[in-house]
Amino acid sequence: MMRSILERLRGWEGLLLAILIVVVLFNTFSTPHYLQVQNQINLFQLHIEKIIVALIMTFIIINAEIDLTVGSVMGLAGCVMAYLFEKGTPFEVCILAGLLTGVLAGAINGFMVSYAGLTSLIVTLAGLIGYRGLARVLLENRSIGNFPDWFDRLGQQPLVGPIPLALIIFFVLLIIALIILQWSGAGRHIYVIGNSSEVARYSGVNVRRVKMILFVVSGFIAALSGLLLAARLGSMRGDTATGTELEVITMVVLGGVSIFGGTGSMFGVLLSMLIILNLRNGMGLLDITGEIQTGVIGVLLILSVLGPNIGRGIRDAWSRRRRVQHIHVGEVENRKEDNL
Amino acid sequence: MAEPILEMNHISKRFDVTQALDDVSLDLYPGEIHALVGENGAGKSTLIKIATGIYRRDRGEVLLDGRPVQVHNSQEAQAYGIAAIYQEPMVFPDLNVAENIFISHRDRGPFVHWAKMYRDAEAILAKLDVNLDVRMPARGLTLAAQQAVEIAKAISLEVRVLIMDEPTAALSAHEVTQLFKLVRALRSQGVAILFIGHRLEEVLKVADRVSVLRDGKLISSKPRSEVTSEKVIRDMVGREIENFFAKSEAERGELLMSVRGLSKETAFSGVNFDVYRGEVLGFAGLVGSRRTDVGLALFGVEPADSGEIIFEGKEQTIKSPEQALRLGIAYVTEDRRQFGLTMPMSIASNISLPMLRRYLTRMGLIKQRDEIATAEEYRQRLSIRAPSVKVELEKLSGGNQQKVVLSKWLNADPKLLILDEPTRGIDVGAKAEVHQLINELTAQGLGIILISSDMPEIMAMSDRILVMREGRQMGIFDREEATQEIILTAAMGQKGGAAEAV
Amino acid sequence: MEQLRRYFRPEQLRELSLVFLIVLIFLFFGTQIEGYFSPRIFNRVTSDVAIMAVVAIGETLCLLTRNYDLSVGSVVGLTAFFTGKLLSFYPDTTMPIVAISFAIGLGAALGLLNGALVAYGRVPSLIVTLGTMAIYRSIIVAFPAGTKNVVTHELPEWILDLGRTNLFSIGGFNIKPLVAVGLVMVVVFQLVISYLRFGRRLYAVGSNPEAARISGLPSQRMVLLAFIMSGAIAGLGGFMFLTRYGDLTPAAAQGMELMVIAAAVVGGVSTNGGSGTMIGALLGAMMINLLQQSLLRWLVISNFWVSALLGLLILVSVTIDAVIINRMRDIWARRDLKSNQGDEKKMIKEKGKA
Repeated sequence: MMRSILERLRGWEGLLLAILIVVVLFNTFSTPHYLQVQNQINLFQLHIEKIIVALIMTFIIINAEIDLTVGSVMGLAGCVMAYLFEKGTPFEVCILAGLLTGVLAGAINGFMVSYAGLTSLIVTLAGLIGYRGLARVLLENRSIGNFPDWFDRLGQQPLVGPIPLALIIFFVLLIIALIILQWSGAGRHIYVIGNSSEVARYSGVNVRRVKMILFVVSGFIAALSGLLLAARLGSMRGDTATGTELEVITMVVLGGVSIFGGTGSMFGVLLSMLIILNLRNGMGLLDITGEIQTGVIGVLLILSVLGPNIGRGIRDAWSRRRRVQHIHVGEVENRKEDNL
Repeated sequence: MAEPILEMNHISKRFDVTQALDDVSLDLYPGEIHALVGENGAGKSTLIKIATGIYRRDRGEVLLDGRPVQVHNSQEAQAYGIAAIYQEPMVFPDLNVAENIFISHRDRGPFVHWAKMYRDAEAILAKLDVNLDVRMPARGLTLAAQQAVEIAKAISLEVRVLIMDEPTAALSAHEVTQLFKLVRALRSQGVAILFIGHRLEEVLKVADRVSVLRDGKLISSKPRSEVTSEKVIRDMVGREIENFFAKSEAERGELLMSVRGLSKETAFSGVNFDVYRGEVLGFAGLVGSRRTDVGLALFGVEPADSGEIIFEGKEQTIKSPEQALRLGIAYVTEDRRQFGLTMPMSIASNISLPMLRRYLTRMGLIKQRDEIATAEEYRQRLSIRAPSVKVELEKLSGGNQQKVVLSKWLNADPKLLILDEPTRGIDVGAKAEVHQLINELTAQGLGIILISSDMPEIMAMSDRILVMREGRQMGIFDREEATQEIILTAAMGQKGGAAEAV
Repeated sequence: MEQLRRYFRPEQLRELSLVFLIVLIFLFFGTQIEGYFSPRIFNRVTSDVAIMAVVAIGETLCLLTRNYDLSVGSVVGLTAFFTGKLLSFYPDTTMPIVAISFAIGLGAALGLLNGALVAYGRVPSLIVTLGTMAIYRSIIVAFPAGTKNVVTHELPEWILDLGRTNLFSIGGFNIKPLVAVGLVMVVVFQLVISYLRFGRRLYAVGSNPEAARISGLPSQRMVLLAFIMSGAIAGLGGFMFLTRYGDLTPAAAQGMELMVIAAAVVGGVSTNGGSGTMIGALLGAMMINLLQQSLLRWLVISNFWVSALLGLLILVSVTIDAVIINRMRDIWARRDLKSNQGDEKKMIKEKGKA
């Protein structure tokens, strides 16, 4: 699955790179100080939790599954932590409990998908509703804050130079994800399963275990992100992190990962993350409201799948027209057909 | 002789670099069963798809009742009275039989009259002498029954040209007989039938006319009376094939695996046999005999409920393919597309898959160079025709894909290799190569279980033959005593004085 | 037993068990909550069920074709909001029929976009409606009209009356226009998918899309129509929403799509297409709403448990459905083996004769 850099540039990733450059250039010209380090850090800061989750979502979608619970698990983990904190539990235990919540939620998702054999869409849809519900049960309408200073500091202040903890975590996870997905045996297995879980199973791959692990990791990462979010915001509510799913899925799908699984790469997802972050940053600087920004993300999501489809359609129609004109030459018809 | 209903004149079609059809002309007459044979890649499917509007032809014309027509899609084909039935029946599992028959009718009005629909459906089925519950959802039907429903649908649409693409591939002998009865009934109603099949004896049994395609060209088209099996094969292959199946004698080694009382609910029961190193144990039986289920149980994909498996002297409970592989058992599936290969991936990636851990560094990263080296070895050994081992599988032909599948499993260093229909759907040349490979493997001391519905193949390649019927074991026959009759009799249920035990 | 299996489709058994469950829940909470069997609760529940059931009808049409419409919440919100604004700006000149047509038409247009992208753009419905869910919601605030909420005192009287008056009453139990509309819609569309060829073909498209295409069914057009109808029906739902609540923010009906899909799934509509009924969707909506309203008043646990329990409920429904289908498959497989043996015996006898 290792394609050369040149191959990548000619394909979807090249297009993404071009779009990224356009967006960054546009932003640079419409806003002074755009490329300054502080602004760039802010750019990441506001959405750092989402891009962390997008890393694991990439694995899951390539594996031909989906996890709609990420937003709710982020919220639930944060709420568990906040709830215990309110009750006076030592803060370290609260954090641990939050992380454990994510692991548990992921385990439930994974169990339903790999062992009970249900489709991940409906399982995680139920989880989306259910985990969010549990979060609300804990915190009801309250907002809990006043976390220990060190916690807030980690979430809001830079840790190494100008770079905050969350960003460091992101970079570390990014490198790990990249290596695993593109160059390791586990990554190969994930692609194969995404292509066809039957073929994988018949080839001796333990499909159930892989799926279970992916969902548990997803739950854990979502929980981690939820805690990071709580630290950054300094407070926690029952509806924190609602609606994260849309953006995370958009980042992955825009990155060239097929929603049906089996194809796509982390490089593309990284590029699409940058595009979305810069786009949001630019829109924010132009005073565009949150809802409209989300609407733009929605447009991006649709275009990321519609675009290639239209491109393919145009190519097909074009080659067909040329064929009609050169009826003797028997032109190439660029269709993928099965056995002749 | 009446006028042809459908004439396909000088049809040519190209895909990328392949000339799929080259100036092919074929006529279909009413009340005639016209068989079309040819190896895989000969162009049969392409021709059908042009007739039914799924593909567009590059050159040539199609005449219906003498008038040129352009069929752009299946809706138009239906309007013209042309219908096709494929290997995989196209039924709607959630709709019942009656609805399946009438769903695509255009002239029954916007409202559904259920009682009338049931009555009409029963009438059509009665005409075909088929006994089905019209209220039953199609999901609950056997493959053969689903095909019957498709035929009923075709009749209800008053098709004039019915094209049948390998309809018998997954049917038991009994079901094939039923199908031919239906087809003959259609013929007597004046329908022109184009029948594509791979099993020559079947095809010759039912055809009125036989046409042979090879590499996109029409080689011959003659009435059944002027045709013999050998001539057809020669036309298909373009060369004399003396001996398809030459089995070399190999030394029978020690006992490799013993199976006792293997059973799985709703699949099979009471299976007993031994396999020795260096021997080929054939699994014969009609489709529906559940031989594949036994294979899947031995490989851990669908483990058995009860019984003993003793492998290399030790008792084993095989619960997963991982486990089976570790023991040294490999299984080459029937359907390579669905279960055997990852099409968008390269040859090398596919071959290394079951043994991937062999190609990982200590940290778990893939050693690509080693993978490629291994793939090159197999490319040589099995003569896989491809520009390089980095090429994606979807670009290879069926025969070469099958070779990649075999490479994949040979690379797993199996001690026991289970082959499930290894030569189905590949051309005669590749078939011979597979048989040659089997001989080599037994010479190297592997034990082989050969599941095949090709009677001559099983009879020629096996040292012993185990016959199954409907999930039960009917007997095991030695090579010398087995005749086609004995095997067939056992496969159909009568125990006629042959050895039952090992 | 054979006869029973012939005439009672599995879906009907499922629906019956749902009714049974609803009655159980009803009775249970009746023992737990003071004044449970009161008109007030009845009216509240039936109104909410009506809206949810109506939108669930549109959603079911999409689900039958093996597609999802996640944008219904946004469509309901958008149509409700803009219809409200329309009435606020022209309270005297806008007639009811105009308002309703506006809502439905707007919804249909939104559904048209969804359908076009799915059917002709070949974009998976999950992606399309995830995107339009956000896009349609953002449209509300994109207009200057969207910066101010819809408030009841700006709305004409008749629309508030629609929400308040009763068609007829039995004891204190009122049947409001909302409820009547809901029931009529359920009945009409249940008839559509049972007796209209178009409806049956929707099942076909979802049951086996490939076969539908090859059989010559106009699958693309049908999927487009399903989405247009889903949008139009959601528009109607938006109008009903407006009459029910009056005061609206741009966040109106946010999250409704989840409830509606839940209602359909609990009601037996398969997310894989090809099976399910409007009656089932109605029962699902009834069940969910009943639970919601009951837990609200049950002092034992906080009402925030509703969502959590809903998630569990969906999971249980889907698991049961999967188990049932597997069971059925086993039964059929066993029947097959037996009947084949019968055929074989016949053939042997014939061979013997020959």
